[in-house]
Amino acid sequence: MAEVTAPMAGKVMDIKVNIGDAVQEDDEVAIIEAMKMEMPILTYTGGTVKEIKVEKGSSVEADQVIIIIE
Amino acid sequence: MTVEDRIKELIELNALAELAGGQDKIDAQHKKGKLTARERVEHLLDKGTFEEFDKFVVHRCTDFGMEKQKIFGDGVVTGYGRINGRLVYVFSQDFTVFGGSLSGPFGEKVCKVMDLAQRNGAPIIGLNDSGGARIQEGVVSLGSYGEIFRRNVQCSGIIPQISVIMGPCAGGAVYSPALTDFIIMVEKTSHMFITGPQVIKAVTHEEVEPEALGGAIRHNSTSGVAHLLAKDDRAALDKVRELLSFLPQNCNEKAPKLPTRDDPNRIDLELRKIIPENPRTPYDIKKIILTVVDDRKFFETQKMYAPNMVVGFARLNGTPVGIVANQPRALAGCLDINASDKCARFVRFCDCFNLPIITFVDVPGFLPGVAQEHGGIIRHGAKIIYAYCDASVPKITLITRKAYGGAYDVMGSKHHGGDINFAYPMAEIAVMGPDGAVPIVFRNQIKESSDPEKTRQELVEDYRRTFASPYKAAELGYIDEIILPEFTRPKLIRALESLETKFDVRKLPRRHGNIPL
Repeated sequence: MAEVTAPMAGKVMDIKVNIGDAVQEDDEVAIIEAMKMEMPILTYTGGTVKEIKVEKGSSVEADQVIIIIE
Repeated sequence: MTVEDRIKELIELNALAELAGGQDKIDAQHKKGKLTARERVEHLLDKGTFEEFDKFVVHRCTDFGMEKQKIFGDGVVTGYGRINGRLVYVFSQDFTVFGGSLSGPFGEKVCKVMDLAQRNGAPIIGLNDSGGARIQEGVVSLGSYGEIFRRNVQCSGIIPQISVIMGPCAGGAVYSPALTDFIIMVEKTSHMFITGPQVIKAVTHEEVEPEALGGAIRHNSTSGVAHLLAKDDRAALDKVRELLSFLPQNCNEKAPKLPTRDDPNRIDLELRKIIPENPRTPYDIKKIILTVVDDRKFFETQKMYAPNMVVGFARLNGTPVGIVANQPRALAGCLDINASDKCARFVRFCDCFNLPIITFVDVPGFLPGVAQEHGGIIRHGAKIIYAYCDASVPKITLITRKAYGGAYDVMGSKHHGGDINFAYPMAEIAVMGPDGAVPIVFRNQIKESSDPEKTRQELVEDYRRTFASPYKAAELGYIDEIILPEFTRPKLIRALESLETKFDVRKLPRRHGNIPL
Protein backbone atom coordinates (compact mmCIF):
# COMPACT_ATOMS: atom_id res chain seq x y z
CA MET A 1 0.00 0.00 0.00
CA ALA A 2 1.33 3.40 -0.92
CA GLU A 3 0.21 6.87 0.06
CA VAL A 4 0.44 9.76 -2.36
CA THR A 5 0.72 12.98 -0.36
CA ALA A 6 0.52 16.72 -1.00
CA PRO A 7 3.97 18.33 -1.40
CA MET A 8 2.74 21.57 0.16
CA ALA A 9 -0.42 23.12 1.56
CA GLY A 10 -2.93 24.14 -1.10
CA LYS A 11 -6.28 23.55 -2.76
CA VAL A 12 -7.28 20.42 -4.64
CA MET A 13 -8.05 21.61 -8.18
CA ASP A 14 -8.75 18.23 -9.68
CA ILE A 15 -8.66 14.53 -9.01
CA LYS A 16 -7.52 12.72 -12.11
CA VAL A 17 -8.35 9.14 -11.10
CA ASN A 18 -11.27 7.10 -9.77
CA ILE A 19 -11.32 4.30 -7.24
CA GLY A 20 -10.32 1.06 -8.92
CA ASP A 21 -8.27 2.73 -11.67
CA ALA A 22 -4.97 1.14 -12.54
CA VAL A 23 -2.09 3.63 -12.36
CA GLN A 24 1.56 3.50 -13.26
CA GLU A 25 4.55 5.22 -11.71
CA ASP A 26 4.63 8.96 -12.55
CA ASP A 27 0.95 9.05 -13.59
CA GLU A 28 -0.77 12.30 -12.73
CA VAL A 29 -3.36 11.56 -10.02
CA ALA A 30 -4.37 15.04 -8.86
CA ILE A 31 -3.66 18.74 -9.23
CA ILE A 32 -2.99 20.92 -6.21
CA GLU A 33 -3.07 24.68 -6.52
CA ALA A 34 -0.80 26.71 -4.27
CA MET A 35 1.28 29.85 -4.59
CA LYS A 36 0.08 30.74 -8.09
CA MET A 37 0.93 27.29 -9.35
CA GLU A 38 -1.08 24.26 -10.39
CA MET A 39 1.09 21.36 -9.41
CA PRO A 40 0.49 17.97 -10.93
CA ILE A 41 0.70 15.29 -8.26
CA LEU A 42 2.38 12.19 -9.61
CA THR A 43 2.25 8.77 -8.06
CA TYR A 44 5.66 7.39 -7.22
CA THR A 45 4.41 3.84 -7.61
CA GLY A 46 2.08 1.81 -9.81
CA GLY A 47 -1.01 -0.13 -8.65
CA THR A 48 -4.74 0.26 -8.17
CA VAL A 49 -6.39 3.31 -6.65
CA LYS A 50 -7.87 2.05 -3.38
CA GLU A 51 -9.01 5.22 -1.71
CA ILE A 52 -9.33 8.92 -2.49
CA LYS A 53 -8.94 10.87 0.74
CA VAL A 54 -9.73 14.39 -0.47
CA GLU A 55 -12.40 16.13 -2.50
CA LYS A 56 -12.06 18.50 -5.40
CA GLY A 57 -12.05 22.03 -4.02
CA SER A 58 -10.93 21.05 -0.54
CA SER A 59 -7.85 22.36 1.20
CA VAL A 60 -4.93 20.11 2.03
CA GLU A 61 -2.02 20.42 4.39
CA ALA A 62 1.56 19.62 3.44
CA ASP A 63 2.13 15.84 3.56
CA GLN A 64 -1.61 15.13 3.81
CA VAL A 65 -2.58 11.86 2.13
CA ILE A 66 -4.45 12.43 -1.12
CA ILE A 67 -4.75 8.97 -2.58
CA ILE A 68 -3.98 5.46 -1.40
CA ILE A 69 -2.68 3.02 -3.97
CA GLU A 70 -2.56 -0.71 -3.56
CA MET B 1 76.68 1.37 8.12
CA THR B 2 77.70 1.96 4.55
CA VAL B 3 75.92 4.44 2.30
CA GLU B 4 74.35 1.51 0.53
CA ASP B 5 73.02 0.17 3.84
CA ARG B 6 71.51 3.53 4.64
CA ILE B 7 69.82 3.71 1.26
CA LYS B 8 68.51 0.20 1.71
CA GLU B 9 67.22 1.12 5.14
CA LEU B 10 65.26 4.08 3.79
CA ILE B 11 63.74 1.98 1.04
CA GLU B 12 62.66 -0.62 3.58
CA LEU B 13 61.27 1.93 6.00
CA ASN B 14 59.36 3.62 3.20
CA ALA B 15 57.86 0.28 2.21
CA LEU B 16 56.92 -0.37 5.83
CA ALA B 17 55.29 3.06 6.14
CA GLU B 18 53.31 2.47 2.98
CA LEU B 19 51.99 -0.80 4.34
CA ALA B 20 50.41 1.30 7.12
CA GLY B 21 48.15 -0.85 9.28
CA GLY B 22 49.21 -4.06 7.55
CA GLN B 23 47.93 -6.26 4.76
CA ASP B 24 45.03 -7.72 6.78
CA LYS B 25 43.72 -4.23 7.55
CA ILE B 26 44.14 -3.22 3.91
CA ASP B 27 42.20 -6.32 2.82
CA ALA B 28 39.43 -5.45 5.29
CA GLN B 29 39.29 -1.93 3.87
CA HIS B 30 38.99 -3.27 0.32
CA LYS B 31 36.35 -5.76 1.40
CA LYS B 32 34.13 -2.86 2.48
CA GLY B 33 34.38 -1.49 -1.05
CA LYS B 34 36.75 1.24 0.12
CA LEU B 35 40.14 2.26 -1.21
CA THR B 36 43.06 2.79 1.19
CA ALA B 37 44.21 6.26 2.15
CA ARG B 38 47.10 6.11 -0.33
CA GLU B 39 45.02 4.65 -3.16
CA ARG B 40 42.59 7.52 -2.70
CA VAL B 41 45.32 10.13 -2.94
CA GLU B 42 46.69 8.41 -6.06
CA HIS B 43 43.25 8.45 -7.69
CA LEU B 44 42.58 12.06 -6.70
CA LEU B 45 45.79 13.57 -8.01
CA ASP B 46 47.33 13.66 -11.47
CA LYS B 47 49.34 10.51 -11.98
CA GLY B 48 52.74 10.54 -10.27
CA THR B 49 52.41 14.03 -8.76
CA PHE B 50 51.93 13.14 -5.09
CA GLU B 51 54.69 14.30 -2.73
CA GLU B 52 54.27 12.98 0.79
CA PHE B 53 55.24 14.59 4.10
CA ASP B 54 55.77 13.14 7.56
CA LYS B 55 55.82 9.51 6.55
CA PHE B 56 57.74 8.53 9.69
CA VAL B 57 55.70 10.45 12.22
CA VAL B 58 54.58 8.30 15.16
CA HIS B 59 52.56 9.07 18.24
CA ARG B 60 54.11 9.96 21.58
CA CYS B 61 51.52 8.37 23.82
CA THR B 62 52.86 6.25 26.68
CA ASP B 63 49.58 5.40 28.41
CA PHE B 64 47.51 2.23 28.10
CA GLY B 65 50.41 0.30 26.53
CA MET B 66 50.37 2.55 23.47
CA GLU B 67 54.17 2.88 23.65
CA LYS B 68 54.35 -0.69 22.29
CA GLN B 69 52.16 0.08 19.27
CA LYS B 70 53.60 2.57 16.88
CA ILE B 71 52.85 2.71 13.18
CA PHE B 72 54.62 5.01 10.74
CA GLY B 73 52.44 7.86 9.58
CA ASP B 74 50.19 7.56 12.64
CA GLY B 75 46.94 7.26 10.69
CA VAL B 76 47.03 10.02 8.13
CA VAL B 77 48.70 10.47 4.75
CA THR B 78 49.54 14.10 3.95
CA GLY B 79 51.25 16.03 1.20
CA TYR B 80 50.69 17.89 -2.04
CA GLY B 81 50.21 17.18 -5.70
CA ARG B 82 48.45 18.40 -8.82
CA ILE B 83 44.91 18.27 -10.15
CA ASN B 84 44.77 19.11 -13.85
CA GLY B 85 48.22 20.57 -13.35
CA ARG B 86 47.18 22.86 -10.48
CA LEU B 87 48.67 22.61 -7.00
CA VAL B 88 46.53 21.18 -4.18
CA TYR B 89 47.27 20.04 -0.65
CA VAL B 90 45.70 16.90 0.68
CA PHE B 91 45.31 14.87 3.84
CA SER B 92 43.87 11.38 3.75
CA GLN B 93 42.88 9.66 6.97
CA ASP B 94 44.01 6.05 7.13
CA PHE B 95 41.44 3.75 8.67
CA THR B 96 43.94 0.87 8.68
CA VAL B 97 46.02 2.61 11.38
CA PHE B 98 44.28 2.76 14.77
CA GLY B 99 40.96 3.09 12.91
CA GLY B 100 42.10 6.43 11.53
CA SER B 101 41.73 7.90 15.02
CA LEU B 102 43.14 11.35 15.63
CA SER B 103 46.22 11.78 17.86
CA GLY B 104 48.36 14.82 18.60
CA PRO B 105 50.93 14.10 15.85
CA PHE B 106 48.09 13.19 13.44
CA GLY B 107 46.64 16.65 14.01
CA GLU B 108 50.05 18.28 13.59
CA LYS B 109 50.43 16.60 10.19
CA VAL B 110 47.04 17.88 9.07
CA CYS B 111 47.77 21.39 10.34
CA LYS B 112 51.09 21.41 8.51
CA VAL B 113 49.47 20.91 5.10
CA MET B 114 46.66 23.33 5.92
CA ASP B 115 49.21 26.02 6.79
CA LEU B 116 51.11 25.38 3.57
CA ALA B 117 47.91 25.47 1.55
CA GLN B 118 46.95 28.81 3.00
CA ARG B 119 50.43 30.27 2.61
CA ASN B 120 50.74 29.14 -1.00
CA GLY B 121 47.16 29.92 -2.00
CA ALA B 122 46.19 26.42 -3.06
CA PRO B 123 43.05 24.40 -2.26
CA ILE B 124 43.07 21.92 0.62
CA ILE B 125 41.29 18.60 0.25
CA GLY B 126 40.49 16.40 3.24
CA LEU B 127 39.63 12.74 2.79
CA ASN B 128 37.86 11.61 5.95
CA ASP B 129 37.75 8.03 7.20
CA SER B 130 38.25 8.02 10.95
CA GLY B 131 36.86 6.54 14.11
CA GLY B 132 37.22 9.92 15.82
CA ALA B 133 39.42 11.00 18.70
CA ARG B 134 42.12 8.54 19.82
CA ILE B 135 40.87 7.94 23.35
CA GLN B 136 44.30 6.95 24.69
CA GLU B 137 45.60 10.41 23.77
CA GLY B 138 43.06 12.12 25.98
CA VAL B 139 42.78 15.86 25.75
CA VAL B 140 45.72 16.03 23.30
CA SER B 141 43.35 14.65 20.69
CA LEU B 142 40.75 17.31 21.46
CA GLY B 143 43.41 19.97 21.24
CA SER B 144 44.30 18.68 17.78
CA TYR B 145 40.72 18.93 16.60
CA GLY B 146 40.58 22.47 17.85
CA GLU B 147 43.77 23.40 16.01
CA ILE B 148 42.29 21.99 12.79
CA PHE B 149 38.96 23.80 13.23
CA ARG B 150 40.74 27.10 13.79
CA ARG B 151 42.74 26.61 10.61
CA ASN B 152 39.54 25.74 8.70
CA VAL B 153 38.14 29.09 9.78
CA GLN B 154 41.34 30.96 8.99
CA CYS B 155 41.51 29.39 5.52
CA SER B 156 37.83 30.11 4.84
CA GLY B 157 37.41 32.52 1.96
CA ILE B 158 41.14 32.43 1.18
CA ILE B 159 41.46 28.99 -0.40
CA PRO B 160 38.76 26.50 -1.42
CA GLN B 161 38.39 23.75 1.17
CA ILE B 162 36.80 20.47 0.12
CA SER B 163 35.93 17.50 2.32
CA VAL B 164 35.19 13.99 1.18
CA ILE B 165 33.57 11.66 3.69
CA MET B 166 34.63 8.10 2.85
CA GLY B 167 33.97 6.25 6.08
CA PRO B 168 32.92 7.13 9.61
CA CYS B 169 33.11 10.77 10.65
CA ALA B 170 31.58 11.21 14.07
CA GLY B 171 31.62 13.43 17.10
CA GLY B 172 33.90 16.45 16.97
CA ALA B 173 35.39 15.15 13.73
CA VAL B 174 32.34 16.36 11.80
CA TYR B 175 33.13 19.99 12.44
CA SER B 176 36.21 20.23 10.29
CA PRO B 177 34.24 19.15 7.19
CA ALA B 178 31.31 21.30 8.29
CA LEU B 179 33.57 24.37 8.25
CA THR B 180 34.81 23.67 4.73
CA ASP B 181 33.15 24.83 1.52
CA PHE B 182 31.91 21.52 0.15
CA ILE B 183 31.22 18.06 1.56
CA ILE B 184 31.05 15.04 -0.73
CA MET B 185 29.74 11.80 0.78
CA VAL B 186 30.16 8.27 -0.52
CA GLU B 187 26.97 6.23 -0.59
CA LYS B 188 26.64 3.41 1.96
CA THR B 189 30.21 3.61 3.35
CA SER B 190 30.15 7.11 4.84
CA HIS B 191 28.40 8.43 7.93
CA MET B 192 28.39 11.70 9.79
CA PHE B 193 26.88 12.41 13.17
CA ILE B 194 27.62 14.33 16.34
CA THR B 195 26.27 11.49 18.48
CA GLY B 196 25.84 8.01 16.98
CA PRO B 197 22.93 5.58 17.25
CA GLN B 198 24.15 4.03 20.53
CA VAL B 199 24.43 7.33 22.38
CA ILE B 200 21.09 8.47 20.98
CA LYS B 201 19.47 5.27 22.19
CA ALA B 202 20.92 5.67 25.66
CA VAL B 203 19.86 9.28 26.02
CA THR B 204 16.62 9.73 24.11
CA HIS B 205 15.60 6.07 23.62
CA GLU B 206 15.25 6.66 19.89
CA GLU B 207 16.31 3.72 17.75
CA VAL B 208 17.89 4.60 14.44
CA GLU B 209 20.23 2.90 12.01
CA PRO B 210 23.50 4.70 11.13
CA GLU B 211 22.44 5.01 7.48
CA ALA B 212 19.10 6.60 8.37
CA LEU B 213 20.72 8.82 10.97
CA GLY B 214 23.67 10.20 9.06
CA GLY B 215 24.24 8.34 5.81
CA ALA B 216 25.14 9.98 2.52
CA ILE B 217 21.55 10.17 1.29
CA ARG B 218 20.30 11.60 4.58
CA HIS B 219 22.86 14.41 4.61
CA ASN B 220 22.37 15.15 0.93
CA SER B 221 18.59 15.36 1.25
CA THR B 222 17.22 15.95 4.75
CA SER B 223 19.92 17.86 6.61
CA GLY B 224 21.66 19.68 3.77
CA VAL B 225 25.02 18.99 5.47
CA ALA B 226 26.47 17.39 2.33
CA HIS B 227 26.61 18.95 -1.12
CA LEU B 228 27.35 16.01 -3.36
CA LEU B 229 26.70 12.29 -3.39
CA ALA B 230 28.97 9.70 -4.98
CA LYS B 231 28.38 6.02 -5.58
CA ASP B 232 31.89 4.95 -4.55
CA ASP B 233 35.34 6.27 -3.59
CA ARG B 234 36.53 6.79 -7.16
CA ALA B 235 33.37 8.65 -8.17
CA ALA B 236 33.72 10.91 -5.12
CA LEU B 237 37.33 11.78 -5.96
CA ASP B 238 36.39 12.43 -9.59
CA LYS B 239 33.81 14.91 -8.33
CA VAL B 240 36.50 16.78 -6.39
CA ARG B 241 38.51 17.13 -9.60
CA GLU B 242 35.47 18.35 -11.52
CA LEU B 243 34.43 20.79 -8.79
CA LEU B 244 37.92 22.31 -8.63
CA SER B 245 37.85 22.94 -12.38
CA PHE B 246 35.24 25.67 -11.72
CA LEU B 247 37.21 27.31 -8.91
CA PRO B 248 40.23 29.57 -8.66
CA GLN B 249 43.22 28.51 -6.54
CA ASN B 250 42.50 31.26 -4.02
CA CYS B 251 40.56 34.46 -3.41
CA ASN B 252 43.05 36.61 -5.32
CA GLU B 253 42.60 34.75 -8.58
CA LYS B 254 39.83 34.21 -11.07
CA ALA B 255 38.71 30.72 -12.00
CA PRO B 256 40.42 29.40 -15.13
CA LYS B 257 38.53 29.73 -18.39
CA LEU B 258 37.91 26.60 -20.37
CA PRO B 259 37.80 27.15 -24.12
CA THR B 260 34.57 25.90 -25.65
CA ARG B 261 33.30 25.21 -29.12
CA ASP B 262 29.82 26.24 -28.01
CA ASP B 263 29.08 29.43 -29.96
CA PRO B 264 28.66 32.43 -27.62
CA ASN B 265 26.14 33.84 -30.08
CA ARG B 266 24.11 30.64 -30.21
CA ILE B 267 20.41 31.39 -30.55
CA ASP B 268 18.06 28.70 -29.32
CA LEU B 269 14.38 28.84 -30.24
CA GLU B 270 13.76 25.93 -27.89
CA LEU B 271 13.85 28.53 -25.10
CA ARG B 272 10.53 29.91 -26.30
CA LYS B 273 8.86 26.59 -25.64
CA ILE B 274 10.16 25.77 -22.16
CA ILE B 275 7.93 28.20 -20.28
CA PRO B 276 4.30 27.03 -20.53
CA GLU B 277 1.47 29.20 -21.90
CA ASN B 278 -0.39 28.97 -18.61
CA PRO B 279 1.57 30.90 -15.95
CA ARG B 280 0.20 28.47 -13.38
CA THR B 281 1.84 25.46 -14.97
CA PRO B 282 5.19 24.39 -13.54
CA TYR B 283 8.27 23.66 -15.67
CA ASP B 284 11.83 22.59 -15.07
CA ILE B 285 14.14 25.60 -14.70
CA LYS B 286 17.13 23.32 -15.30
CA LYS B 287 16.02 23.02 -18.94
CA ILE B 288 16.66 26.75 -19.34
CA ILE B 289 20.00 26.54 -17.51
CA LEU B 290 21.18 23.61 -19.63
CA THR B 291 20.12 25.26 -22.88
CA VAL B 292 21.99 28.45 -22.08
CA VAL B 293 25.32 27.33 -20.56
CA ASP B 294 28.36 25.97 -22.42
CA ASP B 295 27.94 22.44 -23.78
CA ARG B 296 24.82 21.84 -21.63
CA LYS B 297 27.13 21.22 -18.65
CA PHE B 298 25.75 22.14 -15.24
CA PHE B 299 27.51 20.94 -12.08
CA GLU B 300 24.69 21.03 -9.57
CA THR B 301 25.35 20.96 -5.83
CA GLN B 302 22.88 20.11 -3.04
CA LYS B 303 20.64 18.59 -5.69
CA MET B 304 18.46 16.68 -3.25
CA TYR B 305 18.16 19.37 -0.57
CA ALA B 306 15.58 22.16 -0.94
CA PRO B 307 14.90 21.30 -4.60
CA ASN B 308 12.82 24.51 -4.91
CA MET B 309 16.19 26.29 -5.13
CA VAL B 310 18.75 25.18 -7.71
CA VAL B 311 22.44 26.06 -7.30
CA GLY B 312 25.60 24.95 -9.06
CA PHE B 313 28.40 25.81 -11.43
CA ALA B 314 28.54 26.17 -15.19
CA ARG B 315 30.48 28.11 -17.81
CA LEU B 316 29.47 30.90 -20.16
CA ASN B 317 31.81 31.21 -23.13
CA GLY B 318 34.44 29.49 -21.03
CA THR B 319 34.08 31.60 -17.87
CA PRO B 320 33.02 29.67 -14.76
CA VAL B 321 29.95 31.13 -13.06
CA GLY B 322 27.76 30.29 -10.09
CA ILE B 323 24.13 29.68 -11.03
CA VAL B 324 21.23 30.30 -8.68
CA ALA B 325 17.68 29.54 -9.80
CA ASN B 326 14.20 29.11 -8.40
CA GLN B 327 12.66 25.80 -9.41
CA PRO B 328 8.92 26.17 -10.20
CA ARG B 329 8.64 22.39 -10.32
CA ALA B 330 9.27 21.99 -6.59
CA LEU B 331 7.06 23.72 -4.00
CA ALA B 332 6.01 26.12 -6.78
CA GLY B 333 9.52 27.60 -6.54
CA CYS B 334 8.73 29.24 -3.19
CA LEU B 335 11.41 30.57 -0.91
CA ASP B 336 11.40 28.67 2.37
CA ILE B 337 13.88 28.26 5.20
CA ASN B 338 15.96 25.56 3.56
CA ALA B 339 16.00 27.21 0.15
CA SER B 340 17.13 30.45 1.78
CA ASP B 341 20.03 28.81 3.58
CA LYS B 342 21.04 26.93 0.44
CA CYS B 343 20.96 30.03 -1.75
CA ALA B 344 22.69 32.35 0.73
CA ARG B 345 25.55 29.96 1.44
CA PHE B 346 26.14 29.43 -2.28
CA VAL B 347 26.14 33.15 -3.07
CA ARG B 348 28.61 33.73 -0.21
CA PHE B 349 30.86 31.03 -1.64
CA CYS B 350 30.79 32.55 -5.13
CA ASP B 351 31.62 35.95 -3.71
CA CYS B 352 34.59 34.52 -1.78
CA PHE B 353 36.15 33.17 -4.94
CA ASN B 354 35.38 35.75 -7.62
CA LEU B 355 32.72 33.69 -9.33
CA PRO B 356 30.08 35.82 -11.08
CA ILE B 357 26.52 34.98 -10.03
CA ILE B 358 23.85 34.34 -12.64
CA THR B 359 20.37 34.26 -11.11
CA PHE B 360 17.32 32.81 -12.87
CA VAL B 361 14.19 34.06 -11.13
CA ASP B 362 10.77 32.44 -11.13
CA VAL B 363 9.48 32.91 -7.62
CA PRO B 364 5.89 33.29 -6.44
CA GLY B 365 6.97 34.48 -2.98
CA PHE B 366 7.91 33.18 0.42
CA LEU B 367 6.21 29.97 1.53
CA PRO B 368 3.35 30.83 3.91
CA GLY B 369 2.83 28.71 7.02
CA VAL B 370 3.11 28.58 10.78
CA ALA B 371 6.02 26.13 10.62
CA GLN B 372 7.95 28.52 8.40
CA GLU B 373 7.30 31.54 10.60
CA HIS B 374 8.11 29.71 13.80
CA GLY B 375 11.14 28.14 12.16
CA GLY B 376 12.51 31.63 11.62
CA ILE B 377 11.98 32.28 7.93
CA ILE B 378 12.51 35.95 8.76
CA ARG B 379 16.12 35.45 9.79
CA HIS B 380 16.76 32.74 7.20
CA GLY B 381 15.31 34.78 4.35
CA ALA B 382 17.45 37.68 5.55
CA LYS B 383 20.51 35.60 4.73
CA ILE B 384 19.73 35.76 1.00
CA ILE B 385 19.40 39.53 1.17
CA TYR B 386 22.64 39.84 3.09
CA ALA B 387 24.48 37.52 0.73
CA TYR B 388 23.39 39.28 -2.48
CA CYS B 389 23.81 42.81 -1.12
CA ASP B 390 27.25 41.99 0.25
CA ALA B 391 28.47 40.19 -2.88
CA SER B 392 30.73 42.36 -5.01
CA VAL B 393 31.26 39.88 -7.86
CA PRO B 394 29.39 40.48 -11.15
CA LYS B 395 25.69 39.79 -10.63
CA ILE B 396 23.42 39.15 -13.59
CA THR B 397 19.76 38.34 -13.09
CA LEU B 398 17.13 37.07 -15.50
CA ILE B 399 13.47 36.97 -14.50
CA THR B 400 11.97 34.16 -16.56
CA ARG B 401 8.45 34.37 -15.19
CA LYS B 402 7.27 35.28 -11.70
CA ALA B 403 8.95 37.74 -9.38
CA TYR B 404 6.45 38.64 -6.72
CA GLY B 405 6.60 40.53 -3.47
CA GLY B 406 9.65 40.52 -1.25
CA ALA B 407 10.95 37.54 -3.15
CA TYR B 408 11.44 39.85 -6.17
CA ASP B 409 13.81 42.03 -4.16
CA VAL B 410 15.64 39.11 -2.64
CA MET B 411 16.58 37.27 -5.83
CA GLY B 412 19.42 39.40 -7.17
CA SER B 413 17.30 42.45 -7.98
CA LYS B 414 18.66 45.79 -9.18
CA HIS B 415 18.06 47.17 -5.71
CA HIS B 416 20.37 44.58 -4.18
CA GLY B 417 23.20 45.43 -6.50
CA GLY B 418 22.29 43.48 -9.63
CA ASP B 419 24.68 44.75 -12.32
CA ILE B 420 22.56 43.74 -15.28
CA ASN B 421 18.95 42.66 -14.89
CA PHE B 422 17.03 41.01 -17.70
CA ALA B 423 13.46 39.76 -17.99
CA TYR B 424 11.56 37.68 -20.48
CA PRO B 425 8.39 39.18 -21.98
CA MET B 426 6.43 36.56 -20.01
CA ALA B 427 7.77 37.97 -16.72
CA GLU B 428 5.31 39.03 -14.04
CA ILE B 429 6.93 41.52 -11.70
CA ALA B 430 4.56 42.91 -9.10
CA VAL B 431 3.95 43.27 -5.41
CA MET B 432 1.46 40.42 -5.52
CA GLY B 433 -0.51 38.27 -7.96
CA PRO B 434 -3.81 39.40 -9.48
CA ASP B 435 -5.94 37.03 -7.38
CA GLY B 436 -4.43 38.35 -4.19
CA ALA B 437 -4.25 42.01 -5.11
CA VAL B 438 -7.66 42.65 -6.67
CA PRO B 439 -9.88 41.83 -3.65
CA ILE B 440 -7.76 44.21 -1.55
CA VAL B 441 -7.31 47.10 -3.97
CA PHE B 442 -10.85 47.00 -5.35
CA ARG B 443 -12.69 45.83 -2.25
CA ASN B 444 -15.38 48.53 -2.41
CA GLN B 445 -15.83 48.35 -6.16
CA ILE B 446 -16.41 44.59 -5.96
CA LYS B 447 -18.73 44.89 -2.95
CA GLU B 448 -20.88 47.53 -4.66
CA SER B 449 -21.10 45.72 -7.98
CA SER B 450 -24.37 44.09 -9.04
CA ASP B 451 -22.35 41.04 -10.09
CA PRO B 452 -19.34 40.96 -7.72
CA GLU B 453 -17.81 37.80 -9.20
CA LYS B 454 -17.95 39.15 -12.75
CA THR B 455 -16.48 42.48 -11.63
CA ARG B 456 -13.77 40.65 -9.73
CA GLN B 457 -12.87 38.59 -12.77
CA GLU B 458 -12.77 41.65 -15.01
CA LEU B 459 -10.56 43.47 -12.55
CA VAL B 460 -8.26 40.46 -12.22
CA GLU B 461 -7.86 40.37 -15.99
CA ASP B 462 -7.21 44.08 -16.04
CA TYR B 463 -4.64 43.84 -13.27
CA ARG B 464 -2.96 40.94 -15.01
CA ARG B 465 -2.59 42.92 -18.22
CA THR B 466 -1.26 46.00 -16.48
CA PHE B 467 0.83 44.70 -13.63
CA ALA B 468 1.63 41.04 -14.28
CA SER B 469 4.24 42.01 -16.85
CA PRO B 470 7.85 43.19 -16.96
CA TYR B 471 6.93 46.60 -18.37
CA LYS B 472 6.25 48.45 -15.13
CA ALA B 473 9.66 47.40 -13.82
CA ALA B 474 11.26 48.25 -17.18
CA GLU B 475 9.67 51.74 -17.11
CA LEU B 476 11.47 52.37 -13.85
CA GLY B 477 14.81 51.00 -15.04
CA TYR B 478 14.65 48.11 -12.58
CA ILE B 479 14.97 45.83 -15.59
CA ASP B 480 17.70 46.87 -18.01
CA GLU B 481 16.32 44.98 -20.95
CA ILE B 482 13.42 42.71 -21.81
CA ILE B 483 14.90 40.01 -23.99
CA LEU B 484 13.60 37.38 -26.36
CA PRO B 485 14.18 33.97 -24.79
CA GLU B 486 16.14 32.62 -27.75
CA PHE B 487 18.83 35.27 -27.20
CA THR B 488 19.45 34.34 -23.56
CA ARG B 489 22.91 32.86 -24.10
CA PRO B 490 24.39 35.73 -26.13
CA LYS B 491 22.80 38.30 -23.84
CA LEU B 492 24.19 36.70 -20.68
CA ILE B 493 27.62 36.22 -22.19
CA ARG B 494 27.87 39.82 -23.39
CA ALA B 495 26.69 41.06 -20.00
CA LEU B 496 29.19 38.82 -18.22
CA GLU B 497 32.08 39.89 -20.41
CA SER B 498 31.19 43.55 -19.95
CA LEU B 499 31.56 43.04 -16.20
CA GLU B 500 34.93 41.33 -16.39
CA THR B 501 36.71 44.43 -15.13
CA LYS B 502 34.23 45.14 -12.33
CA PHE B 503 36.15 46.15 -9.24
CA ASP B 504 35.27 46.00 -5.63
CA VAL B 505 33.53 49.16 -4.51
CA ARG B 506 35.43 50.52 -1.54
CA LYS B 507 33.52 49.66 1.59
CA LEU B 508 33.44 51.71 4.75
CA PRO B 509 35.89 50.45 7.35
CA ARG B 510 34.41 47.93 9.74
CA ARG B 511 35.56 44.73 11.36
CA HIS B 512 32.98 42.71 9.50
CA GLY B 513 29.24 42.76 8.99
CA ASN B 514 26.87 40.75 11.13
CA ILE B 515 25.21 38.28 8.78
CA PRO B 516 21.98 36.79 10.16
CA LEU B 517 22.88 33.20 11.04
